[in-house]
Amino acid sequence: MTPFKLKIITPERVLYDGEVTSVIVRTTVGDKGILAHHEPYVAALGIGQTRIKTVDGAEKIGAVSSGTVEVTEEQTTILAQSFEWAEEIDVARAERARETAEENLNRFKDDQRKLDIAEYKLKRAINRISTAGMK
Amino acid sequence: MASGNMKEIKRRVKSVESTMQITKAMELVASSKLRKAKARAEDARPFFDELYALMCRTAGQTKGLETVYTAKREVKKRLYIVIAGDRGLAGGYNSNILKLADTAYGDAEKPKIIAIGKKSVEFFSKRGYEMTAEYPGLAETIKVADAADISQTAVDMYLSKEVDEVRIFFTQFISPLTQNPLSMQVLPIVAPVGNAQPVSRIVDYDPSPEAVFARIIPRMITSLIVCAVNESYASELGARRTAMENATDNAQEMIDTLSLAYNRARQEKITNELNEIVSGANAL
Repeated sequence: MTPFKLKIITPERVLYDGEVTSVIVRTTVGDKGILAHHEPYVAALGIGQTRIKTVDGAEKIGAVSSGTVEVTEEQTTILAQSFEWAEEIDVARAERARETAEENLNRFKDDQRKLDIAEYKLKRAINRISTAGMK
Repeated sequence: MASGNMKEIKRRVKSVESTMQITKAMELVASSKLRKAKARAEDARPFFDELYALMCRTAGQTKGLETVYTAKREVKKRLYIVIAGDRGLAGGYNSNILKLADTAYGDAEKPKIIAIGKKSVEFFSKRGYEMTAEYPGLAETIKVADAADISQTAVDMYLSKEVDEVRIFFTQFISPLTQNPLSMQVLPIVAPVGNAQPVSRIVDYDPSPEAVFARIIPRMITSLIVCAVNESYASELGARRTAMENATDNAQEMIDTLSLAYNRARQEKITNELNEIVSGANAL
């Protein structure tokens, strides 16, 4: 398969900068597969997984929480608020985050904003745990 | 009298020496931390650059660019996010940025403050500013989640019209020797219309250019805060290193002067004693 350039960047660092043969991302409207020579495309990313296939055929999975993906003729860029490769995820920490979020969901029943935050954190934690299980 | 003077000089040399040890240690700590902080500040830049470029490209695609985030309104109430250090002894680093923020609004109503860093918290709460949020001790280990929190607060206040303008005050890191205190408008976003690129190809937006644009903005502000905090922290360490280097040099200079004085006093004492002995011998 034809390789193309991919960059994955978070506000903390550049996580990937190299050639891949395919990328699958979870956008806010559903999963989207990208191959070489894809038409120019921009989408918002939700909480979910990103799968990439490197040039040597290996597959890598990462947990993403919100961001954007942009496809241009030159390269594909994923800008994510947070991005972790499956093998780098600290499962114990994710479990703790899930417990805290679940507690908060019960505690802040009347505060909509805190409820939203707790729900978002719960989704993130669940996503990280399930991504870690896929490596 | 001479021997009393000598004792005094010796004591001063000792005290200067111990001060010099402290400033030397602080200089070394600052320069080793600076290396890490500089790397972090540089790591944070690509995200901001790419996001900004994407925003400019997206702006070119949206027809009704006048969103709530970009629309200018009459500025009555302001929110300032001010980043300073947690510790002193960093030359002019803290006072430069705090003074810039303290004088930026002229005769208008005092802005609300989100203070990052202990010095910033102290400065503004003492001067009767309304504190929206305080984040002491954040700069060294800032997480994206912390920045997202701050950006959420700022965006909420802006959208609910509690404030009409949000600015961030930080210190730009140019080199370990040069840092530049700076203020930047966060909201309303200075519309990148001028930078907007013409539509060369039809780009497919999911779900729509406007939706993508609205999602980019909070991320953009979060990333801006992360960058600004990292830059400021690197600047603080740079400023501290320079200040401590100067202090160490000054201490060394003082020790040199003092030991010269000490040696002179010693010489004088010996000469006096010799004189006494010789005149005593002559008298016999």
